[in-house]
Amino acid sequence: MKWKNSFYSFVLLTALPGVACLAQVPADSTAADSALLKQIEQQMQTTTQPAAQPQQGRSTLSFNPDIGVIGDFQGSYISKGNRNFNAYLNETEVSLQAAVDPYIRADFFLSFARDPETGKYGVEVEEGYLTTLSLPAKLQLKVGKFREAVGRINPTHPHALPFIDLPNAYVNYFGDEGLNDEGVSLSWLVPNKKFYQELVFQATSGQSESPSFFRGDNNRFIYLGHLKNFFTLSDNSTLELGLTGLTGPNDSSRTTSIASADLTYKWKPVQMNTYKSITWQSEFYYGHANLLDNFSINSIGLYSFLQYQLAKRWFLTGRYDYAQRPYDKTIVEQAYSLTAGWYATEFSKIELEGKTTDNNIESRFYQAWLRWIFVIGAHGAHQY
Amino acid sequence: MKHKLMVLLITCVNILSVAHAGTIKVVTTTTDLKSITELVGGNKVSASSIATGYQNPHFVDPKPSYIIGLSNADMFVTVGLDLEIGWSPQLLSSSRNTKIQKGAPGYVDASAGVGLLQVPSSANRAEGDIHIYGNPHYWLDPLNGKVIARNIANGLERVDPSNKSTYEANLQAFYKKIDDKMREWQSKMAAFKGTKIIAYHNEWVYFETRFGLNIVDFMEPKPGIPPSPSQLVKVIKEIKANNIKVIISSPYFTTSSSDVVAKQTGVKELTMATSVGGFESVKNYFDLFDYDINQLTATLK
Repeated sequence: MKWKNSFYSFVLLTALPGVACLAQVPADSTAADSALLKQIEQQMQTTTQPAAQPQQGRSTLSFNPDIGVIGDFQGSYISKGNRNFNAYLNETEVSLQAAVDPYIRADFFLSFARDPETGKYGVEVEEGYLTTLSLPAKLQLKVGKFREAVGRINPTHPHALPFIDLPNAYVNYFGDEGLNDEGVSLSWLVPNKKFYQELVFQATSGQSESPSFFRGDNNRFIYLGHLKNFFTLSDNSTLELGLTGLTGPNDSSRTTSIASADLTYKWKPVQMNTYKSITWQSEFYYGHANLLDNFSINSIGLYSFLQYQLAKRWFLTGRYDYAQRPYDKTIVEQAYSLTAGWYATEFSKIELEGKTTDNNIESRFYQAWLRWIFVIGAHGAHQY
Repeated sequence: MKHKLMVLLITCVNILSVAHAGTIKVVTTTTDLKSITELVGGNKVSASSIATGYQNPHFVDPKPSYIIGLSNADMFVTVGLDLEIGWSPQLLSSSRNTKIQKGAPGYVDASAGVGLLQVPSSANRAEGDIHIYGNPHYWLDPLNGKVIARNIANGLERVDPSNKSTYEANLQAFYKKIDDKMREWQSKMAAFKGTKIIAYHNEWVYFETRFGLNIVDFMEPKPGIPPSPSQLVKVIKEIKANNIKVIISSPYFTTSSSDVVAKQTGVKELTMATSVGGFESVKNYFDLFDYDINQLTATLK
């Protein structure tokens, strides 16, 4: 009995640090230990419990989540003002992803970035949420802080976009960081066998900063509904049509509502999908901001881009922006931009973008950016 | 009594509806797994594959439309070893189907028990697209097809134990056909033992090892890195020095760099099928080796 106990302790001890440790024991131990080992070995041969054998490869397994780090280094130029050139590590994103248990998985994205106002580095939770894996009726629940389901740009992390700056209309409504808030998201896979349809409903607290919404000293939340329709036109081409509606309190303690539609056409020949592709993506936004009694501003904005893959590693993206300022629709911005991207591998890419902007309150100005994205560790898949 | 009758009735209806639903719906990541699933499952299964046979299995686009099939599947079969890491985990978690999640009875990793080659001793992306668990193109050895078939049969027997005897019988028939065909394939390839060849991408090691070929270099300087001028120069020198007759490639790679080498050296270019459906005539797992071996032996003659 005593032997059995020490045998189990031995197995436990050796199994923890793994096979490598087991191999080291005889070399470093005394003669007495060797005798002990011999006896244990004999007992192991006679024992009828195969489960006690330490498994090969066990030492390499761990419950650590998949960890990835994404660096985003940028250089920029702007033709107006006094400081025209700049260089900065725009963002360092750390991702931690794993299944929590058989019912949920967790995804965390921590962002380390310099505050443009103070110049100091700070950390923020860009996203941190759980996703259920086993709800009935084709439902999936997401709880935490997440990029909300507004069209195509907002759910995408900026490093994965085919341009460096964000569309003007998008920034006017949702800010540089996008609509990224805390709450719950319930999505339902519509049982439609003809084409893919997903309905998403989100309710968030509105505490995260955004130009359109503001959490006041009350119980009003932001509510969002999104319907995604995805059609397979042929083996090589697909069409996605998304409709979004959201409403929430603004900084006048009244209501702002935004409706948006997104349309994405992709051509990607299945056989040569790593060499050739075309994406045409557009989003249209309509904003209704109620600011005073009997005073509301209705504004619109849109962007449309065409991305053409010239060769395995080369991408060219042209984009047009049109935006009315949501709080002063007499200010109208129009911009054209062109981005060339060289994707060395799945883990690094270099992009160069030039942009010209016109609006009716100042003279035309030009901007340019150079960005180098680099990834180490695990890298999650991007949305299609 | 009435209550019991109701229960009985509901049970009967349930059994009938299951029986009526009939086949086990299987979604596989690749066409080779689909073919083997059909051979083992026979008329008890209906299988579909996400990837086609002529596309690069590393880079399948995770189109949401694939989620429809996955959400209704009874079983999911994957090549595993991170071959599909860029697309299948995302599709699987979006499917909301608990029956086919990793660890569930309907999840089949076809690589379980396969003797793996090229398992790296360190995981370093400076070496290109390396696979930390070993080279994942193991289905290109017909004997590994037997392991795949065993794994698929195990999965089918877990989700549909009532047809176990059918699956076992089909599995034995599959084993026998592989053994019979192996003799034919081996004898065709016997004359080319040790023949030096060049391959575009490092995806033929299991085929090479089984049939005794000798792949001396790749068009890609490192896995996943497109051919560079210096690599082409190196390959041209190797072809001339070793009198190499053929560069083998796959349907999803461009031939422009091989064309340059062919022009310089007179080496032949051969696009082989890496999966079922790679070419029109490759309709099942046996056709795959028939096609490749016939093409290769004809080119090397």
